[in-house]
Amino acid sequence: MDIVLLTTVHILVAAAVCWLNFITIDMFFKLPERGGVVGASAIARHIEARGGSLDGGTMMGNIVSSPDASAGTLLAACGVFIAGIPGGLLAALLVFIGNRICHDKGYAGTTGCLTATFLVYGFTLAGFSAAEFIAGMVIAILSIQGISHVYASRVLSRIWRVRRG
Amino acid sequence: MEGEEGMTPADVALVLCGAVAIYAGIRVALEPDTLRKLPFLNVLSFAITGIIALLLPHPLGIVAAAAYFVGSTLESNAIASTYAGGLDRG
Amino acid sequence: MNEIVVVMLAALVVLGCVLAIRESDPYRKLIALSLIIGGTIPFIVDRGLLDVAAAVALISPLSTIFILMACPGGEP
Repeated sequence: MDIVLLTTVHILVAAAVCWLNFITIDMFFKLPERGGVVGASAIARHIEARGGSLDGGTMMGNIVSSPDASAGTLLAACGVFIAGIPGGLLAALLVFIGNRICHDKGYAGTTGCLTATFLVYGFTLAGFSAAEFIAGMVIAILSIQGISHVYASRVLSRIWRVRRG
Repeated sequence: MEGEEGMTPADVALVLCGAVAIYAGIRVALEPDTLRKLPFLNVLSFAITGIIALLLPHPLGIVAAAAYFVGSTLESNAIASTYAGGLDRG
Repeated sequence: MNEIVVVMLAALVVLGCVLAIRESDPYRKLIALSLIIGGTIPFIVDRGLLDVAAAVALISPLSTIFILMACPGGEP
């Protein structure tokens, strides 16, 4: 039971680290500014109709319709779990190809994957397991996309207003 | 009790990913609006990608996980774009 | 594979099947279909067939896109 408790604490720390990583990269690449494809704007409009915020909804639509920094973080954690640093770099290449398949011109996914690779490897040296980062990233995306669209879009919109100045 | 192995971190992470997957599936089933189902579907594909990587640590597993994730994203993209008024790709 | 995860994934597949039967809108049927695919691929991976899993994961969205070409527009 002891190891389950320790792993749970590690997963919560990993979730916080992953959340900060992908929100920072996505905000740096200005994902909430406009929808990349028609579907992203439509999802944003439907979230706004329920009472959410349009900027946060646009970012959620962009996350749905193209692999962005959150997907990069997850695949980097998977790559480091399987094969260490080279696995993370392979995952970055695959995310780049996936971005091009999904008609996305940006580099948010690749950048997020590269930073997350070194971040996860650094935490591996500090006693964490890369499997905990996979679970942590799943928790982080659950907090954005899976609990309540209204409150998540409002939080994202507030962060976006701070970043835009 | 020393014969019992106990759970490794990978086992805990696997069970957690499975729990998130079934939660996202239930939310997809209960959501009345078609386009608002897609973020829950995205959570589901994150959890399944994690399960694929955690089940079998083999180098080809990275390719399989990335293929599943990109395929699922492409599917959501196509469904949302068609629903919102036609595919605008060639 | 962990037995709890087997039960969860099987429940996901059954949920997707029930949803695909009960929905009437084609878009909602396609979303339920992707629920079934997501629940099935871990079973393929568990047997070690990673190449088959990658192939299935790429073929199923392509078939969805072909089906979508025949669907009418969802909202005006």
